Amino acid sequence: MNDMQWTPIGSEPIPPPLPPTRVDFSGNRSGFRNMVTKGALLELVTFGFYRFWLITDIRRHLWSNTAIDGDAAEYTGRGKELLVGFLFALAILVPIYLAYFLIGIEFERWQGFASTPLFISFYAFGQFAIFRARRYRLTRTVWRGVRFWMDGSGWAYSFRAMAWGLLVFLTLGLALPWREASLERYKMRHTHYGDLRGDFEGNGWTFFKRGWWLWLLSPIALIIFPLAPFFYAEFKAREWRWWLDGIRIGGVSLSSELPHNAFYGLYWKVIGWWVLLSMIFGAYLGGATALVVQLSGLSAEQLFGPGDPTKSIPMLVIMVIGYFALALALNIVMRVYLQRDLWAKVLETVEVHDIAAAADVRGSGELASALGEGFADGLDVAGF
Amino acid sequence: MSDVSTEAPAPSVKPTVFFDGVSSRRRQVTLALGDALEISEEGGAPVRWAYADIRRADSPAGVIRLACTTAPSLARLEIRDAALAADVTARCTRLDEHQTSRRGIAKIVGWSVAAAVSIVCVVLFGVPLAADRLAPLVPKAIERRIGDASEVQVKTIFGRNVCEDPAGKAAFTKLVNRLRDAAGLDDDSMTAGVLPTSVPNAFALPGGKVYVLKGLLDKAENPDEIAGILAHELGHLKHYDNMRGLIYNGGTSFLIGLLFGDVTGSSAVIFASRSVVEASYSREAETAADTFAIEIMHKLGRSPKPAAELMFRITGKEGGSGLTNILASHPLTEDRLARMTREDRPANGPPLLTDKEWRALKLICGSGKV
Repeated sequence: MNDMQWTPIGSEPIPPPLPPTRVDFSGNRSGFRNMVTKGALLELVTFGFYRFWLITDIRRHLWSNTAIDGDAAEYTGRGKELLVGFLFALAILVPIYLAYFLIGIEFERWQGFASTPLFISFYAFGQFAIFRARRYRLTRTVWRGVRFWMDGSGWAYSFRAMAWGLLVFLTLGLALPWREASLERYKMRHTHYGDLRGDFEGNGWTFFKRGWWLWLLSPIALIIFPLAPFFYAEFKAREWRWWLDGIRIGGVSLSSELPHNAFYGLYWKVIGWWVLLSMIFGAYLGGATALVVQLSGLSAEQLFGPGDPTKSIPMLVIMVIGYFALALALNIVMRVYLQRDLWAKVLETVEVHDIAAAADVRGSGELASALGEGFADGLDVAGF
Repeated sequence: MSDVSTEAPAPSVKPTVFFDGVSSRRRQVTLALGDALEISEEGGAPVRWAYADIRRADSPAGVIRLACTTAPSLARLEIRDAALAADVTARCTRLDEHQTSRRGIAKIVGWSVAAAVSIVCVVLFGVPLAADRLAPLVPKAIERRIGDASEVQVKTIFGRNVCEDPAGKAAFTKLVNRLRDAAGLDDDSMTAGVLPTSVPNAFALPGGKVYVLKGLLDKAENPDEIAGILAHELGHLKHYDNMRGLIYNGGTSFLIGLLFGDVTGSSAVIFASRSVVEASYSREAETAADTFAIEIMHKLGRSPKPAAELMFRITGKEGGSGLTNILASHPLTEDRLARMTREDRPANGPPLLTDKEWRALKLICGSGKV
């Protein structure tokens, strides 16, 4: 014990480091909920086309309410850009689908089902899209009048993602931490804020040490189903914390004290809503059937039974309406809990160190097009 | 405190901050509201923004953030003092001109509905028309290539080797040739065969390939039953149903995917609407093939009814709920049976196969069970 005290008291050579800065999220929750509710309804009447504007509004809300060192960020992307990007992506994807089809035929002629691996090429394309979509989002992210931007190649990223994906597949998921570390390093090293360059210092081994037992226990979750959300919440919390701890931009670094059980409540709330909404949907269907039987004088047998399908049209319409209502409600729940609440929960644990390094950064970097977002949307790999 | 001097105008408690859009330096500034907004940092040249050029940028509650269309695009002025902010915004007449207004949203809704209506019309009318017109124009060579590809797949599932018993094969060829002549199919590349699997089915592939599965032969009780089903498959060939279906399904899944924003077509809505639309198209094609089969059998002086009886023996009564009827790709077997029964005529033509040939056909895959 005594050897702890060998330094003379009062002669600390290192000046105390500046206290870390916090990240504040000041978004109004009911405002967000109203926004996504209205957005979901508009998505319904526009057959989904409104999603470009809704996604933009969500990002604008989250970005502009996130303040680092007292200054809020800003998202400068617009819905129209996403729409144009989506249309361009379609124009490029159509010939690719045709080529896929024709090459597939040649493969099948040679050997039955030989074209199945061709599907992997779409996965590779999806990885490319993820990288390019990130570039779009980043170049629309502004803090203190200077934008973030990205260089690097989407195809190089896609190649890495594929090679690591194969390794993860071969090791039954054990290589996942190293895959994430490698991909994140690639992304962050090509990320810039003005003339500051990003980096990622997290390594696979640290992540592995934090989560290996989840990997071992995951088969149990397949048997005891209610455990699965706990496991997933544990995994996501550990992943977020590890990811935040590794982020560097110039001399600025992040750290997070995100507790391992941070997401339990969020996931269970989503599941609770899901169960509740499904029950309401079931009750609605039952009630509507009873009502139709009462009004039309037909028996339930006749409604669902064989024979004239026109008799079941009212029921079909009722079911379709109910299904859309359910889908919209679930959409709102997911956006409120898994986007807004998760965002707030993660941010309140984040600390920023040495923010002074970003006090006088020269702006640079060009805006990227929304084509990547369009591909991501078209291939169904879109994220936030 | 009471002894605070009051000679200078009280500086706003909350600072006004300016970012020039070139560097991230946080500049504390004072504003002068003249004929333009003058932003000055201590010891720096003032920046002037014309009021008409000032636009609102996104900001958290309690902060007004302004941008200027003639300044660097990322230059931002942040006013935290409410009174000062109100003073400035009152002078900026075009502050919110660039935001999406109610009219803007109405425009989005209007255009989306127009796009959706046009896509739905194309799915319901345009694509079937295109499929009907294009299918006969697809070069035989391409059709055959697609057929070869699906043949390889089919054989992977149902067995590599076509049944080859010589006597059975002769009987089968005789049956197919009679039907083909009656159908007026001049396609010399047409091939037909029996595959050794216990699944009771038959199908036509692009490029004139007709396959009967052994399971169907096992369930059949006379040549007319098999003949009617072969005639139905020839109907598919005659109507180019494979190529039509390919063009139609490709077109609709792409367009419906476009509508819901997912060209790979994996989500539930897309799947459901595709299934309904494609099933109705496929039921039409099946009904047309049945019509064709009835014609052929009449031309040969045989009844089409036995084929429907064979189908009924295999599937049983199918009618389920109204929903399954809407999603079924074929007309219900009982409806087909009813139709073929209406078309039943006493046989006035010679039998299609002799008893001996029929027995040989039943044994085409050898006597063993598969």
